[in-house]
Amino acid sequence: MALSGALAHGFHTFRRSVRTRVLVTNATNNVVRFENVGMRYGAGPEVLRDVTFTLPSASFHFLTGPSGAGKSSLLRLMYLANRPSRGIVSLFGKDVSKIQRNALPELRRNIGVVFQNFRLLDHQSVFDNVALPLRVAGGKESQIRKHVSELLQWVGLEDSLDDRPSTLSGGEQQRVAIARAVIGRPRLLLADEPTGNVDDAIAVRLLYLFEELNRMGTSVVIATHNEALVSRFKHRQLHLDEGGIEYRQNGADC
Amino acid sequence: MLLRRSDLPLSNDPAVRILPWVVGLMVYLATLILAVALLVSTLAADWSAGLTGTVTIHIAAIDDETDAELDRRVDEAIRIALKTPGIDSARAVPAEQVAALLVPWLGEEAPVAGLPLPRIVDVQLARDASPDIAGLKARLEAAVPGAGLDDHQLWRDRLVDFLFAIEIVAGVMVVLIGATTVTVVIFATRSGLAVHNEVIEVLHLIGARDEYVAHQFQSNALKLGLKGGIAGSAAGLLTLFAIRYTAANLDIELFPAFLFDVWQWPALISVPLVAALIVRISARYTVLRALRRMP
Ligand SMILES: Nc1ncnc2c1ncn2[C@@H]1O[C@H](COP(=O)(O)OP(=O)(O)OP(=O)(O)O)[C@@H](O)[C@H]1O
Ligand SMILES: [Mg+2]
Repeated sequence: MALSGALAHGFHTFRRSVRTRVLVTNATNNVVRFENVGMRYGAGPEVLRDVTFTLPSASFHFLTGPSGAGKSSLLRLMYLANRPSRGIVSLFGKDVSKIQRNALPELRRNIGVVFQNFRLLDHQSVFDNVALPLRVAGGKESQIRKHVSELLQWVGLEDSLDDRPSTLSGGEQQRVAIARAVIGRPRLLLADEPTGNVDDAIAVRLLYLFEELNRMGTSVVIATHNEALVSRFKHRQLHLDEGGIEYRQNGADC
Repeated sequence: MLLRRSDLPLSNDPAVRILPWVVGLMVYLATLILAVALLVSTLAADWSAGLTGTVTIHIAAIDDETDAELDRRVDEAIRIALKTPGIDSARAVPAEQVAALLVPWLGEEAPVAGLPLPRIVDVQLARDASPDIAGLKARLEAAVPGAGLDDHQLWRDRLVDFLFAIEIVAGVMVVLIGATTVTVVIFATRSGLAVHNEVIEVLHLIGARDEYVAHQFQSNALKLGLKGGIAGSAAGLLTLFAIRYTAANLDIELFPAFLFDVWQWPALISVPLVAALIVRISARYTVLRALRRMP
């Protein structure tokens, strides 16, 4: 697969050129750990109840469940957009409720997110959108230029560098969002319906891309409704229903 | 870094767009008020310097008295004055000069010569000395009939009080103008935060520090503050020049201090810079405070 191969090559250059990362993890191997987690929005009802699971490092999971089951909410807890109303959420071995606010940005730079509705910055070009995670982390502009151009080439958007995201098709926007999520080479990649706007062929290609990342050590969680995809790529499933969660074995690799 | 590419489209916010206008107006007003305050303080300094060094002795003419007798009383007053430590000189003002002082009130034709004019003795105090003026006054009144002493103290005190009051009012106005500016900046920044809440959340989730987001707001605010401030300052200085020009045309010494001292020009010119800095600090503080409440 040309796309993922190129990405892998790119990431090897990344590994050599980008500054060494501070290791956030300690003794444990678990990237994510939820313990009896409950979550509610404001004073509303609990949308997640007694959710307990762990994601080992370099794991690959689909997050499935009916609409409204709380998939996006669960991801929000993982990318630190919301705090649990009860229970313990640990990321990279750290209880997030005990993390100082000024340590959050560093932690978030280890988490790549593809949002359900992309959340691209529409007043900025495709290039600047993808460059953003490196820029907020204080990367060098010459390095940024090189890596972003390469990555955009790999996702097939080399001709749209200067376009506004709103002028792109849904599928193209999705690829911009994915490029932005992976540019910082996160240790945890969270994708909310990343194949929602693309045809099956592209969806499969995107999945290969995520698998490639996963092979390089990134833990991946993909929330999806796409049954065909889930049964084709035999990864573990976290199945959410009625606010609770269950593991589902899916195929031989579990 | 003022020209860093912006991650927030702040320049499109209506609330942010009025900032230069507000800052411009405030800087204009502050410049004029500060000019008045500087003028007044120079005036006050001039006045007290001009008058502190002198006191005046006046000796009233007595009915049926000869000029020689009056002269003797004047000489006696001068002798008493000169004996007082801290007094440099005492000089009788010639009668013609006293009469000349009355011309503006009585007119050229008036038979001034026939009037029983008082004699005036101009007493110069030594530099930096504080002679016992009250004692001198008492001794004069005891020894020389019809003599009195005027040290202008009361008049000077009142003038200085008046000028001081003007300075206080000017100061209060400048503070109010500053407070208004800060309030407007806080509201414009809050509205910007609300408008861009989505983008700010994305920046946070991507790993941006509060500092990074604040930087965007504060450099934008500084830019707009400078823009408005420089325009307001230019308009203010133009107004001052226009007033000065008109005053010069009137040919009166109403504004002797309008040639500001060297140190006062920088004070006037620094108004927009200080304003822009205040704008920047207010924006920064507002953003950091608001962001602390975000997850
Ligand atoms: N910002 C919010 N404020 C209040 N309630 C919310 C908010 N976001 C989600 N919810 C509620 O939380 C529940 C779970 O929503 P969530 O978006 O997590 O589901 P989902 O599994 O991602 O659904 P979908 O598959 O349709 O994306 C829903 O009942 C929804 O109404
Ligand atoms: Mg969802």
